[in-house]
Amino acid sequence: MAISLDLITGVLSFLFTLMILSYLIGDNPVFRLAVYMFIGITSGYIASIIWWQVLAPRLLMPLLPALLSGSIVEKVIAITPLLGAVFILMKLSPRLSKIASIAMAFLVGAGAAVIIAGALIGTIIPQISATINFFDPQLAAQRNINVIEVLGNGAIILVGVVTSLGYFHFSARQQANGTVRRFFLIEIIAFIGKIFIGTTLGVIFAGVYATALTAFIERISSLINFFGNF
Amino acid sequence: MRILTAVIAIAVGSMVLLGYFSTSFINIQTLLLNWAIILAGVAALAGVFNLITVHGNKVRQAEKNSIYSAVLVISLIATFILGIILRPQHAVMQVILNGIILPVESTLMGLLTITLLYAGIRLLRRRVDVMSIFFIISAVIIFLGSATLPSGDIPLIGTLVRPWLSQIWAMGGARGILIGVALGTLVTGLRVLFGVERPYGGK
Repeated sequence: MAISLDLITGVLSFLFTLMILSYLIGDNPVFRLAVYMFIGITSGYIASIIWWQVLAPRLLMPLLPALLSGSIVEKVIAITPLLGAVFILMKLSPRLSKIASIAMAFLVGAGAAVIIAGALIGTIIPQISATINFFDPQLAAQRNINVIEVLGNGAIILVGVVTSLGYFHFSARQQANGTVRRFFLIEIIAFIGKIFIGTTLGVIFAGVYATALTAFIERISSLINFFGNF
Repeated sequence: MRILTAVIAIAVGSMVLLGYFSTSFINIQTLLLNWAIILAGVAALAGVFNLITVHGNKVRQAEKNSIYSAVLVISLIATFILGIILRPQHAVMQVILNGIILPVESTLMGLLTITLLYAGIRLLRRRVDVMSIFFIISAVIIFLGSATLPSGDIPLIGTLVRPWLSQIWAMGGARGILIGVALGTLVTGLRVLFGVERPYGGK
């Protein structure tokens, strides 16, 4: 009799859920076994995805046509990342690891440029624009919101943004008695910032807790359903 | 070597960055980012290989709890070989994904319910200041406001206080934190681009 893949999936899911939930009675060998297997399987799965979705289509497949019938430029374009890949693999050997820094420098340079653009275009400009837009009466009118309500809420958000940023201002001066203290105004701003940051982290905590609780209930429900199917 | 790596990082970073602001550099930016993706993939594979080496050494030296390392290495190599032969979309690989990886991730997330609750209680016992008091108050308000009673939402808290707290007060703080993180990221990126910071080796 052929065993269906759905049944195997269900059994595996049931077993691994139980193994992980065994942590509720304390750290134990069954939990550790499940976690080590999980790390091994996930790493192997990710490695195979990298192979099939990155290295094969972007590095290996364009290599042969470029080498056989490509121009000099095409050959250079195909061979350069291969050379970089060889350099990175040299990091595995302590003797050759210095050569790997060439490829690492390439990666870090490209990564730095991407995060600069991402931070600027993806976060700073949109977040500042969104904070300013809260004071736009035309936008408020379009959404049928009272102007006073909009200005009040916009002011709270603006104060939250400024004071939260102020909280992370750590420049300080040495006092006459030798203690190090921030400027008085910054201290006040940082105090208000603490209130906003505490509130924000509390809201995030509640959101994460609700998600974790949903996942927990879903797992318990899957265990019950597994028995219910027999 | 130190100068060469700095020159490479600065040149590559500058050309990729210029691609975001000038159309003349888009082709070179695409090419460089494609190479970076390949190198990141190879670096990830090198990391996986390093994991095998570290745990393989533990097994060879018969260290304490090396049985777990053996399980890790065997499951890693078996999954990788299966993935290479069958490809990740194959039904067997989907069994591994849906039967092991996703349930374990989901259950670990579920376990956070207990650890987060414990951490929340410990916070009040260990540190009572303005931030922790507002943290607990806002978390409790959000919980109460999200709770669905047989009669519906809790009046005032569910309909007015919770949305106001999460959409106005928390948004202000979150935006401040986000902008702060982005400013920090921007400065770190610029330091790398100007060669002040060299995480790839060399001072």
